[in-house]
Amino acid sequence: MALLEVSDLSKAFGGLMAVSGLTFSIEQGQLVSIIGPNGAGKTTLFNLLTGIYRPTAGKIVFDGDDITGCKPYHSAGHGIGRTFQRTTVFRGETVLDNVIIGQSVHMKTGVWAAIVRTRGARREEEKVKEKARSVLEFVGLADMEQRLAGNLTEEAQKRLSIAMVLAAGPKLLLLDEPTGGVNLEEIGGLIELVKKIQQSGITVCLIEHKMRMVMSMSDHIIVLNYGTNIAEGTPAEVASNKEVIKAYLGARRVA
Amino acid sequence: MGEYLTSILLLIAIWSIMAVSLNLLYGYTGQLSLGHSAFLGIGAYALGLIAVKLQVGFWPAFFAATAISGFFGFLIGIPALKLRGPYFVLVTLGFAAIVGVIVLAWVDFTGGANGLAGMPRPNPIPLPWGGKLRFDSLLSMYYFILFFLIVIVMICHRLVHSLVGRTFIAISHDENLAESLGINTMQKKLISFTISATFSGVAGALYASYNVVISPDLAHFARGMDVLACLIVGGAGTMAGPIVGTFVMMAIPEALQIVPYLKTLINGIILLLFIIFLPAGIAGGFKAFFYRWGHAWKSGKGRNGIA
Repeated sequence: MALLEVSDLSKAFGGLMAVSGLTFSIEQGQLVSIIGPNGAGKTTLFNLLTGIYRPTAGKIVFDGDDITGCKPYHSAGHGIGRTFQRTTVFRGETVLDNVIIGQSVHMKTGVWAAIVRTRGARREEEKVKEKARSVLEFVGLADMEQRLAGNLTEEAQKRLSIAMVLAAGPKLLLLDEPTGGVNLEEIGGLIELVKKIQQSGITVCLIEHKMRMVMSMSDHIIVLNYGTNIAEGTPAEVASNKEVIKAYLGARRVA
Repeated sequence: MGEYLTSILLLIAIWSIMAVSLNLLYGYTGQLSLGHSAFLGIGAYALGLIAVKLQVGFWPAFFAATAISGFFGFLIGIPALKLRGPYFVLVTLGFAAIVGVIVLAWVDFTGGANGLAGMPRPNPIPLPWGGKLRFDSLLSMYYFILFFLIVIVMICHRLVHSLVGRTFIAISHDENLAESLGINTMQKKLISFTISATFSGVAGALYASYNVVISPDLAHFARGMDVLACLIVGGAGTMAGPIVGTFVMMAIPEALQIVPYLKTLINGIILLLFIIFLPAGIAGGFKAFFYRWGHAWKSGKGRNGIA
């Protein structure tokens, strides 16, 4: 069974169908890219998958659970991690604290335990810190844990935002333009990181505009245009698809 | 210590409790409430009404008053915290205005403009080695209130530096990001709001007990603004801020012997100057200064953060 199954998903904003009748599935362990022209509904799709928007129609089944229309913190609890197009970290907090906050889903310390500082609360704090350090090691920010997140470079903030999501141990990682706004020389490092995440067993789904990157690293590509998927398949299949060429280059080229 | 000085310090301690409780909600959870006068008023009037009308003695009335304030915080928090930014602020302000009007207009229940008199002082606490801890003198009352201030500051300190507190701080920075990382933001905000309202109720009940008489002025929404001014001057989101700010805002006019109606004006000017020149407040300014200083000192060593 597929890890994520989306069937007939639609989202309307007033009269505008941002996503309409979208059906696709993501298999466990794959690296899936979602591509499409601006305004095709890619980020809207992510927002639907993570509960930021409620779908107008359709169904989302993740890992056997129906998560259609659940709240954002629920989808995180189910194991869907997500980063945003505009890099979002807690700028005023240290890198380590950012990754600690990323583990909130699993934190069990209650108010009373926190005030009394029970042994359980202290042990959890140690555990969470340890986990945060190992994730920072994984993304390559181990020597920056005490820096303020807002003082990091754009590329390091991208790594941090991924680390925050990874810390919760997601089954599916949704990355919205993981290399957007990053220097050309630094893109390679981020691609390596995304591959490393996939190799560690986490299913990755990303939105990207850089075609060369998408074609070289994806197992599966979903092409969106005007809120529907016009093509789907391996990079080679998608590249030769007439509909895709039409959407990207215009109808006349095909004819 | 003279009686006069003691009474000033005592009032500073009570208003510090208010500022500390607002700091938990605004400074650390990012939810600006202009309605904390309501919880102060509820705490004070609940103590008065329960102790005077039911004749139950100080301690049961005190705990009941505290619990009632917290409960009102919980009840108002549920609808109010669904709103964000200015809308939340307006609901808290509206709630404070309503409580202010009820206290003033429900004469049979609250005594209306005449206020309520006859609040009890804390009953003596028997000590294990004999004798009793009495609270009849002004100085003993001051230490009694100081004790609550210290306990509340300690609770806030532990809470803020715990994993729960980190989720509060995350919400204060970016609520959407916090929620997408799996934090049930509504629940955390409600916890923070309820605790904050409870502590404000403590301040109200202590004030009522100290002052013996309470008037509707205590529940006027302007009191909430005063507390916010103290918090901003001291530095929201810092541990020392609320106490430093309350001290500055109350001690300066007192030391200069400014006539009461000018006090509001002077406080307004002080607040304005801080918002323009030092929006992080006194404690926040210190923190930033030492952070930069420490950064220059240790630059290149990799470690430049503050825990």
